[in-house]
Amino acid sequence: MTRAEFLSRLKKGLVGLPLSTASDIVNDYETHFTDGAAAGRTEAEVAAALGDPDRLARELRAEAGAQRWHQEKNPSAAAGAVFAVLGLGAIDILILLPILMGVIGTLFGFAIAVIALFVSGGAIMVAGPFADLPGGAFAAILAGLGLMAGAASAGALLAIVTIWLVNGIVWFARLHYRLLKPALEPQSTQVVGDPA
Amino acid sequence: MPETIEIQLKKGVLGLCVLALLARADSYAYEIASRLSDAIDMGEGTIYPLMRRMQTDGLVETYLVESSSGPSRKYYRLSQAGRDALAAQSAEWTHFTRAVDAIVANDSPVAPAPGEAA
Repeated sequence: MTRAEFLSRLKKGLVGLPLSTASDIVNDYETHFTDGAAAGRTEAEVAAALGDPDRLARELRAEAGAQRWHQEKNPSAAAGAVFAVLGLGAIDILILLPILMGVIGTLFGFAIAVIALFVSGGAIMVAGPFADLPGGAFAAILAGLGLMAGAASAGALLAIVTIWLVNGIVWFARLHYRLLKPALEPQSTQVVGDPA
Repeated sequence: MPETIEIQLKKGVLGLCVLALLARADSYAYEIASRLSDAIDMGEGTIYPLMRRMQTDGLVETYLVESSSGPSRKYYRLSQAGRDALAAQSAEWTHFTRAVDAIVANDSPVAPAPGEAA
């Protein structure tokens, strides 16, 4: 593989990252090729020693996703981290996927229920006094407030569990992608396809 | 798979090796990668995800050095947190390797059972 080929595959794999991050990463590898040339190695040798650019791009994306999640705990960063991790395609993560889907689905269901509870609490509080419910208007307002407070605390609990889950996924992924196996044996796959 | 333990070992000590190299002198990625790939036979490309991660974790800092030939070069140096991590991890490593050596080496003295006269 030539330097240009390696870098273009790497760039392709980094699509979706912030531009400054991606160009920073590409610069690192460009410098690596320059240094390698200065040390008297050919482009093909350097590329072979670096390993598979697609895999490196996946690891770098997962790392960038994890980094963003550590900086900003919001739903988009969480989704980014989880998808970048799934993009690694490590076997054991794929095996975990069905379980993970179940857990995420359950959390999502709880989130919908919490929102519904909050809305219905609000409705009871507002409409209750006029609906002639048993217990009178005051009880209806209190019941509505109670439902809303309950929903809010359940929501907070849910958020904590979700943050904990995403942290867990990121931690698990980091265990795996540092030095994934093919990167240890770069020559075996790269040199075979090289015409030179 | 016979090579699995080797991979797991390398995976574990790679970060420690980088910390140790940087403790001796500030360095740049190509130099670190070629030192490590000679010594422990790792893919050179993996150094970059690792360096990014160590930067995120605050273990290393970067600075640029003007170069006479070509663009300026990015150097890495240990932060205080990096020094602390190195001290903790190398102590752990020494403790671990000693324990394993003692078990693996046949001629290691077996500790006498408690209550038994030595």
